[in-house]
Amino acid sequence: MTDLQFENVSITYRSSSDRGDVVAVEDVSLDLPAGATLGIAGESGSGKSTLIMSALRLLPKSARLEGRVLLGGQDIRELSFGQIRAVRWAQASIVFQGALHSLNPVREVGSQIIEALEHHSKGTWTTPQKRRDRMFELLAEVNLETSKSSAYPHELSGGQKQRIMIAMALACEPDIIIADEPTTALDVIVQKQILSGLARLVAERGISLLMISHDLAVLSAVCANLAIMRHGRLVEYGPSDEVCLSPQEDYTKQLAGAFPQIGDPESRLNPRTLKPAEVVRAEPFTMTDEVVLEAKNLSVSFDTRRGRERAVRGVDLQLRKAEILAVVGQSGSGKTTLARSLLGLQEVEAGSQLSFAGKALPKQAKALRAFRRKVQMILQDPAGSLNPKRSVYEAVVEGLKVQGIRDQEYERVIGALEAAELTPAEDYLESIPQELSGGQRQRVVIAGALALDPQVLIADEPVASLDASVRGEILSLFLALKKNLGMSALIITHDLGLAWNIADTVAVMKRGEIVEYGEVDRVLSDPQHEYTQELLAAVPRLGSQSLVRNE
Amino acid sequence: MSANTPAEAAPGPSSNEPNPRGSETRGSDPRTSGRAGPAVDGAKLVRERRMNNAKKNWALFRSDVPALIGAVVLLFFIVIAIAAPLIAPASMLDVTKQLDVPRYAPPSLDHPLGTDDLGRELWVRILWGARVSILVGVAATVMSMIIGTIMGLAAGHFTGLFGGIIMRIVDFFIVLPSLLLAIVLSSVLERGVFTIVVAIGLTSWASTARIVRSQTLSVESRLYIERARILGAGHFHILFRHLLPAVMPLVLANTTLTVGGAIIAESTLSFLGLGDTSKESWGTILKNSMDVSAATSGYWWYVLTPGVAILLVVLAFTMVGRAFEAIINPALRSR
Repeated sequence: MTDLQFENVSITYRSSSDRGDVVAVEDVSLDLPAGATLGIAGESGSGKSTLIMSALRLLPKSARLEGRVLLGGQDIRELSFGQIRAVRWAQASIVFQGALHSLNPVREVGSQIIEALEHHSKGTWTTPQKRRDRMFELLAEVNLETSKSSAYPHELSGGQKQRIMIAMALACEPDIIIADEPTTALDVIVQKQILSGLARLVAERGISLLMISHDLAVLSAVCANLAIMRHGRLVEYGPSDEVCLSPQEDYTKQLAGAFPQIGDPESRLNPRTLKPAEVVRAEPFTMTDEVVLEAKNLSVSFDTRRGRERAVRGVDLQLRKAEILAVVGQSGSGKTTLARSLLGLQEVEAGSQLSFAGKALPKQAKALRAFRRKVQMILQDPAGSLNPKRSVYEAVVEGLKVQGIRDQEYERVIGALEAAELTPAEDYLESIPQELSGGQRQRVVIAGALALDPQVLIADEPVASLDASVRGEILSLFLALKKNLGMSALIITHDLGLAWNIADTVAVMKRGEIVEYGEVDRVLSDPQHEYTQELLAAVPRLGSQSLVRNE
Repeated sequence: MSANTPAEAAPGPSSNEPNPRGSETRGSDPRTSGRAGPAVDGAKLVRERRMNNAKKNWALFRSDVPALIGAVVLLFFIVIAIAAPLIAPASMLDVTKQLDVPRYAPPSLDHPLGTDDLGRELWVRILWGARVSILVGVAATVMSMIIGTIMGLAAGHFTGLFGGIIMRIVDFFIVLPSLLLAIVLSSVLERGVFTIVVAIGLTSWASTARIVRSQTLSVESRLYIERARILGAGHFHILFRHLLPAVMPLVLANTTLTVGGAIIAESTLSFLGLGDTSKESWGTILKNSMDVSAATSGYWWYVLTPGVAILLVVLAFTMVGRAFEAIINPALRSR
């Protein structure tokens, strides 16, 4: 069994850019005894990935390491290249971040698992037949059918790919598994499966687990100890229940609060953030009975190689003025297709009725353009939604130009940016997306939509790719937009906590159908449909290593 | 709904800071001031940023020595091409006026680049040939780039039947032996410089179209195109505001690389006797030299001079083109 110790580790990236040397990790000491589980939480840029990469000496050449990283009592800096190769995978292995892109798209996944075995045959899996058997063994261990070994990565779902990655990490029976955001981009149900799989392996095999995530609840569900990192420094460290349930540091409290506990009245319609958006109206708008956007019997099908697949089946949905409606479901449940068809971006089946303000959705290009002035959509990834070559001003003004709104261009842009809480707006006009943080980019995208003065905003996973603290800010912005401008919003998410935070009503989608639909308070505190119950149960709760002990 | 516009609901710039631009606008009629004052402001910001970008790129270009050498060589040839009538009057090409000049004179002080079979000075012929060669090279390239960009954008942007048909047309021109087509075109059409331009332009755009199409396809799948659609944009906006600017750098880099090919193609056609025989061009000089078996008779200057001229110009265009490519694609810089 192998211990992993970080002793006063500092890591600096040399950089020739204006920023000079970047200190990624500063004086961090952590201890992972054999068989233990440790979670490191922190936001992007906190240095958590850099820290764990140092454990296997996987840092780029520009990184300088100070302090000691001990693997099984041996300083990894003193190992020769051959020795470090032997250590990688045989003693410690990594499940990389963005595992969904870490698989070779042109090779069968089974042979990719075998690849790890070929490099580290360790005298055990010496013949191709033995390696094949071991590969099937590994697939069984991560609950995948043996037939999946001949599948190509694109034929697998996100959760299945993640399991292949875990099988690869397990291949050579390592003592330590390092998992870098293993469940980001997966929905709650798959997340639960992956986490409980990991927890089971840890318990049965005595493997030590070092896991990184930005989500405290995910970590606390599996790990016994938690470390919180910020700006490269260790903020708090201790048993996970203590850190989560009675945090000492403000920063930990903020992280813990960012993901709301469903059922907790304090976070209902109140996303926790240090920078809440201002409500300027004396009498904020509240949900009315006036229906703005309505879908009746909406069905959408796609032609696939396996024939026609129905992504959305007979959905009835109503969005009222100043209502925030959350559509919740797993990935692949047809949420995004539903949103696209509400905007007229997707062809719908005959018999579907879509109407806006009582009138059927137009078909001609010109009328659609006018319609889109009133109904706007915000896409999933703020980084991709902005043309990298165009400044903030150009991005926001684009909608005005397209819609042929010529007067008061400058004022409208400034007004929209300020409504999206990007202040002072003048300072941002010339920035290009690359110079902005994720949260700022999302605000620019929102401002671009607001510039058209829409009545309805459709947002597809608006906070999924953002850090915990930014998440609160953006959610409070949605609430403020509703209260200040009387805007209706349809928010698509896989995160039930988001619905609890800001939505008035929630629709739960499964396989293209809405299985439960109603007010948030009622649906989330007293779910009727078993799928809603299943979704709710899968949401990791803070503290108590819930997934490990449930098993 | 107007009472709820973000511009009015949000605290405007005028309310919390003494911004003369903002307060002036608020005070006066919004319609006129919106156009006259701040509206210009936004556009000005955009222009300034583009100027800065251009300056940055220029600095990058200047730091590239081969590109500078290429640019100087190009400039030299362009200047002598334009100034040809001033440096050497057209009469110097008139055979009837060159009766007392020795034929096949090797390069010497009296005849810097030697003379040809009719006693004409080769340097004069190179000078006048530069006009046609460079003109045809650039014009044919511009034509091929315009066709290639339009076809590539259309093939990438429009899906379904229309895009498919365009792509088949592109494929057709790719598999066609372009030199053969150019020969056929220039022998069918009326002889002249314009015919050569058309023949080269029509046969060399297909590869550009392919490059543009693949770039278009990759940009087309970006979320900001989807966002533009959500904002209500039609084909026109997406094609000319997003796709064209995205493929333009690629097209420009490709242009400088293609000019060299076009100059060689022009020389080839002239060499084969398909050019305008009444006009000097480097290819024509080469053809004349072959007609009198200059290479085997030891008149090396007759063959070498036009050949080196072609080489220099093509090389210069390539060096400049590579620098453009490196500016667009930073990943190439360190190679």
